[in-house]
Amino acid sequence: MSTKGMRRAGTGLAVVGLLGLMFVYWLSFFWVSTEANQGVAQRIFYVHVPAAWTAFLAFGLCALTSAMYLWLRDDRLDRAAVAAAEGGMVFGAIMLTTGPLWGRIAWGTYWTWEPRLTLTLLLWFIFLGYFMVRSSTENPEKGKRFAAVVAIVGALDIPFIHLSVLWFRSLHPQPVVVKPDGPTLPGDMLTTLLTSVAAFTVLFLGLFMLRYALEGLHRELDARARRVAA
Amino acid sequence: MTLYLSQVSAIVWKDLMLEFRTRERLAAMGAFAVLAGVLFNYSLDTARVAPQDVAAGLVWMTIVFGGLLGVGRTFHLEAQDGAMQGVLTSPAPKDAVYLGKTLANFALLFPVALLVLGVFTLFFGLDLGSSPGTLVLALALGALGFVALSTLFAAVSSETHMGETLLPILVFPLLVPMVIYGVGATGRILVGRPVEEVMGNVRMLAAFAVLALAVGAGLFRFVVED
Repeated sequence: MSTKGMRRAGTGLAVVGLLGLMFVYWLSFFWVSTEANQGVAQRIFYVHVPAAWTAFLAFGLCALTSAMYLWLRDDRLDRAAVAAAEGGMVFGAIMLTTGPLWGRIAWGTYWTWEPRLTLTLLLWFIFLGYFMVRSSTENPEKGKRFAAVVAIVGALDIPFIHLSVLWFRSLHPQPVVVKPDGPTLPGDMLTTLLTSVAAFTVLFLGLFMLRYALEGLHRELDARARRVAA
Repeated sequence: MTLYLSQVSAIVWKDLMLEFRTRERLAAMGAFAVLAGVLFNYSLDTARVAPQDVAAGLVWMTIVFGGLLGVGRTFHLEAQDGAMQGVLTSPAPKDAVYLGKTLANFALLFPVALLVLGVFTLFFGLDLGSSPGTLVLALALGALGFVALSTLFAAVSSETHMGETLLPILVFPLLVPMVIYGVGATGRILVGRPVEEVMGNVRMLAAFAVLALAVGAGLFRFVVED
């Protein structure tokens, strides 16, 4: 797809995603029933879980495109990796702020060394390193390769980190949707959650495409500036 | 295979020889370990906290911080004199260079890890617990996993303008499994739990080290490409 097409499609998806998000807010504030034990605070779940899903999707996409970049050396793959990593940072930050807010009420503490919480925090920092490596090389090609290496090692280390922090201890609510004997979440809550997951995913894809197009324009601009200078 | 091994050992010998002539990195890491022990002594109220209970964490953190001090300079000499070009244009494949560098770092860090254990035992009057052998095995496997990851990222950070400052940011999140399993095993042995209880941890440390070595050997070529 051309940069222009990408920009159009990205804008379209982002608008759909934002409208979907407004609908999700309406659902989670006015429509869905209040959870019996946790009360209103549980409603943050409809933002937290989709943000978590999107962040992991984004980081996975970044690791995948990074590996493909090292193999094929197509600049577009690197652009996709940066765009995905930035999305992952944003949605990861949403997950890391909504989680403690809920935890303060449900667990009585903002922070605990709960496995999934810890894993996300570490993932966020791995990708912080991803951006720091990129921006601290004089030769941009080197920065791209280094960042790809960081993303791949990070992705391969994730199962290990997960196992180890799980071994350390667990307090997080257990899965309520994806499990062998079907979801245990009540119908209206499941509807709200799945709508929200869809809205977040569409929004992420829209932002991803916009960011990808922007990165393309940036590089074109750099190339032109270099030609003029030469 | 024999050729490959001789290429790896050539790199190891080169690095160790340089180190034994200057003794810079060993001296820095060793001094760091002892001084960290001194500072820990004043940062803990030993009347309230039993050193035996917290020593495992202190030992591993000292190894991690001290290790970064030495490993961060792995490529320093080569970068300074443009000698990396020479190493890379040698007929040795890139993964052999990586393995050589990593093993040389291990040969430096493992004695430092033992020194940390010895010094802390002396300073805090530790009792080495149920199985000193398993303790040393856990330290060795942890140190191997540590150098495997940090040597790869030392190659990355030495090529950035942030240099060694970047190294902890890149490796700390990745080292979490090593610290958790390492401290878990060490702590249990120090308080005298049976060895069978920590074998799971030791196996995870071994798996971590193997994975880190494989990943490093596979990805090093992309770091030192030009």
